[in-house]
Amino acid sequence: MSEEWEPKIIMFCCNWCSYGGSDTAGVARFQQPPTTRIIRVMCSGRVDPTFVLDAFLEGADGVLVTGCHIGDCHYINGNEKTKVRYEFLKRVVEEFGIEPERLKLEWISASEGDKFASFVKQATEDIKKLGPSPLKPEVVE
Amino acid sequence: MNVGECYIGWAVDEDVRKRGGSGGLVVATLAAALEKGLVEKVLVLKKHSTYDAEPVLTSDPEEVLASAGSLHAVPAALSKKIPYGVKVAAVGKPCDIRGMYQMALRQQFNLDDTYLIGLNCGGTLPPVPTRQMIRVMYGIDPDEVVHEEIAKGNLIFTTRDGQEHAKKIDELEEAGFGRRESCRYCIVKIPTNADLACGNWGVPKDKLGAATFVEVCTEKGVQLLTTAVDAGYVQVEPASDKSKEIRKKVEKAMLDLSAKWRERIFVPIENRLEFYREALRHCILCNACKEVCPVCACGEDSKCTTMPSSLETHNHEFYHLIRFLHIMDSCVACGMCTDVCPAEIKVSTLQARYSLPFQEEKGYVAGMKLEKPPFFEVE
Repeated sequence: MSEEWEPKIIMFCCNWCSYGGSDTAGVARFQQPPTTRIIRVMCSGRVDPTFVLDAFLEGADGVLVTGCHIGDCHYINGNEKTKVRYEFLKRVVEEFGIEPERLKLEWISASEGDKFASFVKQATEDIKKLGPSPLKPEVVE
Repeated sequence: MNVGECYIGWAVDEDVRKRGGSGGLVVATLAAALEKGLVEKVLVLKKHSTYDAEPVLTSDPEEVLASAGSLHAVPAALSKKIPYGVKVAAVGKPCDIRGMYQMALRQQFNLDDTYLIGLNCGGTLPPVPTRQMIRVMYGIDPDEVVHEEIAKGNLIFTTRDGQEHAKKIDELEEAGFGRRESCRYCIVKIPTNADLACGNWGVPKDKLGAATFVEVCTEKGVQLLTTAVDAGYVQVEPASDKSKEIRKKVEKAMLDLSAKWRERIFVPIENRLEFYREALRHCILCNACKEVCPVCACGEDSKCTTMPSSLETHNHEFYHLIRFLHIMDSCVACGMCTDVCPAEIKVSTLQARYSLPFQEEKGYVAGMKLEKPPFFEVE
């Protein structure tokens, strides 16, 4: 087990944009690290802050939330609500001493396969630098 | 009588005037509202002892008058004590009333049916430590105390023999007694969000202890006070400019003191994750903090209570994460969560670490107005 440590990243993708973006990335064969576990949601607005905190407590090293670009939401303004919520969430995560780089929000449309791949790449690199999350059950115990 | 006007008033009934904290105006107003049919019920504090009182909903004017002079309610979310659709008049500290506003914002409480009398508050004292403090710091028998007062930075207890015992609050708080922690950094001292804001700050010297300064804040406040005056329960005279000035001065002094305490209490922490883990480690998941919270509107199956499983011990202490997040925009820093915590976690202060700077950044004081908070601006 001398392999390099790979972070576990939970990624929430909106059904209409960023999930399509991940498809585009795959079809176009953009290279990206296999660190993410994608959870498809119907809208980034569905991502309750509880999900994010729970992911951290269950051992995720990072959580990425992605949705449609502002103005493109399939449900009119779901992603704007995500933005508001994210502001709260970021504060709590930061104040708790968890590095802010572990939580990211990005707007990715279905056609932006390259953006999707580079976002995952960048996030993985950032989180790799930070090392395992301090909230991991095995770290805590 | 108009909105925005200030009066000095007192109860006409001599017995009430004597027993009441400052002239018995508040109980007399409540009793009048009940008697004249302005409200169906009144939420008053039923006195158990000088240090203890319990909020009770009553429709008996006698019981209302009997509540004169009550101090220090037990921790209770007042809005949860008031049934829907019943016209009620209630008394509360600024934080109690702010809690009601927050519940009204979340459609859990009907402010239209509620007449609110707010009491100026420089901080409240926890009953048991206070008895101890009186014994240790003042050297008097706590059962002898009949009245207490905060004036000019002094905490003054009056004993049965009429003698006043004063000590500097700073001195008491240095010694580990004094006001509850959340009161020390509280930012609302005069409840201008209530219909009537009452208190003894600004009462002229000759009437001190026998009259109350009232600010009429809303139309409902006008109704309350005119009803009481017309019914002959209460007498009022317009407050002089000097009175208003003194009231402002006292408020400012209290707020300055709060600002000082804030700096002392909210010192930046180095290893925050460790700090919170240590602070929350003893949480036993009893949910008492959620039960008593005046701004928590989720009800039975709230996310914060369903989140941690008792099988997973590694994240017990982070049950509070959800609460911190949920209440960040609405916390009024009343401190009741700290009061009820069986594990003696300073929940309120931990919460305030998030909520106060966040609210401040947006220029928002939770629970003062019935309008959408600035956090949820979705164009």
